[in-house]
Amino acid sequence: MIEILSASALATVQDLGRVGALQWGVGTSGAMDPLALAAGNVLLGNDDGAAAIEVPVFPFQVRFSEDLAFALTGADCAARLDDTPLMPWWVAQARAGQVLTLGLPQGTGWRASRAYLCVAGGVDVPAVLGSRSTQLRGDFGGHEGRALRQGDVLRAAAPGNGRHASGFGLLPPALALPLVLDGVPAMRVLPAAEYAHYTEASRAAFWAGEWKITAQSDRYGYRLAGTALEAADVVEMRSHGIVPGVIQVPPGGQPIVQMRDAQPSGGYPKLGTVIEADLWRLGQAPIGSRVRFIETDWDAAVAALEQTHAWLADARRLADLYRRQRERTRA
Amino acid sequence: MNADQIERISAWLAATDIALLELRGPGTQLRLRHDGGGVPVRHEPFDVAPSASPPTAAPIGGLTANAPSVGVFLHRHPLREAALAQVGARVGAGQPLGLLQIGALLLPLCAPEAGTVTGMRVAHGTAVGYGTPLVDLAPR
Repeated sequence: MIEILSASALATVQDLGRVGALQWGVGTSGAMDPLALAAGNVLLGNDDGAAAIEVPVFPFQVRFSEDLAFALTGADCAARLDDTPLMPWWVAQARAGQVLTLGLPQGTGWRASRAYLCVAGGVDVPAVLGSRSTQLRGDFGGHEGRALRQGDVLRAAAPGNGRHASGFGLLPPALALPLVLDGVPAMRVLPAAEYAHYTEASRAAFWAGEWKITAQSDRYGYRLAGTALEAADVVEMRSHGIVPGVIQVPPGGQPIVQMRDAQPSGGYPKLGTVIEADLWRLGQAPIGSRVRFIETDWDAAVAALEQTHAWLADARRLADLYRRQRERTRA
Repeated sequence: MNADQIERISAWLAATDIALLELRGPGTQLRLRHDGGGVPVRHEPFDVAPSASPPTAAPIGGLTANAPSVGVFLHRHPLREAALAQVGARVGAGQPLGLLQIGALLLPLCAPEAGTVTGMRVAHGTAVGYGTPLVDLAPR
């Protein structure tokens, strides 16, 4: 078990998301950086989608009340287990009583904003509609349907797992699968249904400009600031289904990217959709940082997702081989 | 090593995209090249006595941390600027001195015992073989 020592809120239990519930008006939720969550689970030998703690505010501290293997991925937060420094994207073994501290994201090799704390077997909370993700809008899922608080106690589903093979790591996908344009993190975007309604100049500016992630950005959506986008004609629509990644343009012309806690419907015109394979890059972009968008097409978007899955499968194959080798050496 | 074993290893090799496999044992060196076609075998004597010291011995009274695997030796974590261990640094037993990168995997090179780092044998980013001496230590 682990006890949350930090008063800083907004940390939530997340998995890979509640897919298949949009038909009931239930949004996806899930990790803002699903690749980091899956990689942490790979390090522990968990299923890719085992639940973990997403930490967006630092410092963050937990105490282990039992011996437990854990993995840290996502932003490099100069973590310490008691006084021992830990490497990022690393699996380690805690003893009962030890305190894990995550500091401020370092951003030397990769500017990221969210860390993931995965535990052996995953965080043991009940699955609701097929997922352990916290659905903040509906107050269900995760730990009591809410963000974690000081004093909360979470159980690891299989505390015995990963005990014999800690102390190794993975190369972060931000380095293994980099996507940067003119020194700025980039995301590939599929033009969406109302793309053609925007002026040629606005469309060109969307691809050519840098977009700042404003302070009005969270798990629900990222409000961006840049050259205002102008529609060539007035687009009025009824509310319709939307998914994480959809880029809406409200009347002011400053786009909003829907993120994991997006509501399942909206009525603003849609300029584009950040492809699923790149949504983690945006999910990690810190407030105040700038991003770029790259136009892509369906085939390239599918290929990008396959590349991401291939990276994860390769990481799992190597981690499993190493774990087996370590277990053999012990036997 | 007998012919049967070599044949078995050759068959394994044929099923991979590994171009060169080298095995060294007492008195024997096996080198298998895989060029996509057949796997020619050259069995040659290897005139190093089993008890001989390694070609690049540790300094007198010192010890060396050797590569626990084939991989690319990294002085620092890819996300960080500071080296894990610099010459002159005092390290505890088991403390990571560097990393070996094998594809997506990062394995630590751990100090075999407590001591002071006296030398880094290879540059950051060098591909190394199993057992390559990487870091020299003077025990405390």
